[in-house]
Amino acid sequence: MRKSGTENLVTAIKSPRHAPSKDHPEQFEIFPDYGSTINKRHMVAAAVVTVPLLFGVAGLAIRYAAVASTLAEPGFESYARALCRWDCHWYLDISERGYERFPIPNQSNVGRWGFFPFYPMLVAVIRAIFPFATILVATITSIACSYAACLVAWPLLEKNMRAYVLYCAFLLSGPFSFHYTTFLSEPLFVLLTSIVFLALKRSSYPVAGVSSALLSATRLVGVLVVFATVIQMFQQHRERGGSPLSFPRWVLGRSDQLVAIFISPAGLFAYILFLYVTVGDGFAFLHVQRAFGRVAGNPLLFLWDGLSAFPKTGWLPTAPQWSALAAIVGLALSVVLVARKQYGAGVFCAICILVPLITNLASMVRYVIGLAPLIMLMAVLLSASKLTWLAALVLFLVACYFMTVAWIGGYLALV
Amino acid sequence: MLWSDTLNPHGRAISLGAYALAAVLAVSELAILALALHPNVHADYRAYYIDRTTTCLNRDAIGSYSLGQTVSFRSDGAKRVAGMKVCGWSGPAADGTHSLGETSRLRLQIPPLRDGLKATLQMAAVIRPPQMTQRVIISVHGVSVHKVTLSGKQPITVSFVIPHAAFSDASTFEMTFDYLDGIPPSQAASDIYKRSIKLVSFRLDAI
Repeated sequence: MRKSGTENLVTAIKSPRHAPSKDHPEQFEIFPDYGSTINKRHMVAAAVVTVPLLFGVAGLAIRYAAVASTLAEPGFESYARALCRWDCHWYLDISERGYERFPIPNQSNVGRWGFFPFYPMLVAVIRAIFPFATILVATITSIACSYAACLVAWPLLEKNMRAYVLYCAFLLSGPFSFHYTTFLSEPLFVLLTSIVFLALKRSSYPVAGVSSALLSATRLVGVLVVFATVIQMFQQHRERGGSPLSFPRWVLGRSDQLVAIFISPAGLFAYILFLYVTVGDGFAFLHVQRAFGRVAGNPLLFLWDGLSAFPKTGWLPTAPQWSALAAIVGLALSVVLVARKQYGAGVFCAICILVPLITNLASMVRYVIGLAPLIMLMAVLLSASKLTWLAALVLFLVACYFMTVAWIGGYLALV
Repeated sequence: MLWSDTLNPHGRAISLGAYALAAVLAVSELAILALALHPNVHADYRAYYIDRTTTCLNRDAIGSYSLGQTVSFRSDGAKRVAGMKVCGWSGPAADGTHSLGETSRLRLQIPPLRDGLKATLQMAAVIRPPQMTQRVIISVHGVSVHKVTLSGKQPITVSFVIPHAAFSDASTFEMTFDYLDGIPPSQAASDIYKRSIKLVSFRLDAI
């Protein structure tokens, strides 16, 4: 990896005799940039840590204001409960009671098997240490995950501060920030996805493999990140002058890459084994989709049906229209990623959109905004000029309030 | 770690360990996949979730019922009918209990009988042009006992005789409604959401 000038500088001043000193003003003349560069580094580091913190607090305040009128009593726990909608209840149940066997109690058709275990397990472990209400623990964990996801995004955004600010604003106080700060899989999914891509960027395959394994236990599509890993390996192989045909042999010759590939789906396989032992069906997470009314079909037809579901009154797009638009924008951004030579991220995001699109448009907005590479790309694109950056920032903060109101009101496109 | 780079014994041991780990992972994943491809599940589970041969997931519901009673399947009879509904029902609502999917089932506990039964059901068709009628096949313990075609929004009363042979061997009384003309809410919707009839009331009399 290419060392930055700053990194070289740090090496240069490691020894005390090299360090510029106030007692020797001539050193500042000889090395005039050292002091200011170090200060700049510290300032940047402080900004990287502080920016998501500020947006975290701002987002909390905006969302609280949006739900305040619906709260039975003021307080963080009431707020957390108010934001817990739709799938959040499934994750709460899994975290508190685990998975059912068959037959499902209360004569239900719908088992919890469709919801992957890693995040509810993590919350259960944290709750065992801090014995508070599950929703309270989960909400704080989600905010922490989103905060950590912002920090991990800093190097992925090539240390572009404007894009970083926008990305942090989107995650922590943006129009969909409730998704990233309540008990849904998105906060952990975004964090783990970012860790995988950072590890791939640094060619740290073991870290990428372990993070992928956790990702595959967080959501079904998480397992697809293994494609990004293989694509990154292929790119690295080609950069070193290897031919496409020699790629398999090259991978087989590197034990760390083999482990990374085979460990990536380990979370999914562990869950399959668990379901086989408890339910008797390792693919219960797929089969239970029948009870949710999901049926395989033509994605193009689903998109067309969604787009053509015009509102009967007013001009605002309907929920199916928003969902279809989200899928199209997501796929378009995936193509842009590929065009920018981020092949792994582009392929991963495109498949993550296409897989649920095979069944229908349900939750499509949430699936698209849960794809960290797409959100990072959007942040980079919107940061191209100061004007778009500022407009997007203001829009995010304003939309945070209204979208939270819509989420509380059960607006279907946000489910 | 590149195999050819592992010149020192320590590095070679790590590399060998990594290869062993990769092999263990690959074999384990294949074994788990093989298990998953051969599910070990109850027949009801298989029919509903895997084979998708029914939209009605059998459950252990058994309602209590006294012969000669007319049970309302509207909102006012919600508590009484709750135990009788096995699957394939939604509601009850003010206009009756709506069928859901391609099959609905009722299961009741009735006293032992020497002869057959007379069933009297009040039902209405769910209509959405061009589908103006609903054909329903009613079975008792898998034996077809009556076929009816419902039309119009108003409930009609359907009476038929259930031969003793249809339920003589069973400890409970199970009635199944199969719908041939269910209406899905949209073209792409799952068959579990099809609508066919509204059951308004139910009555059995000993013959």
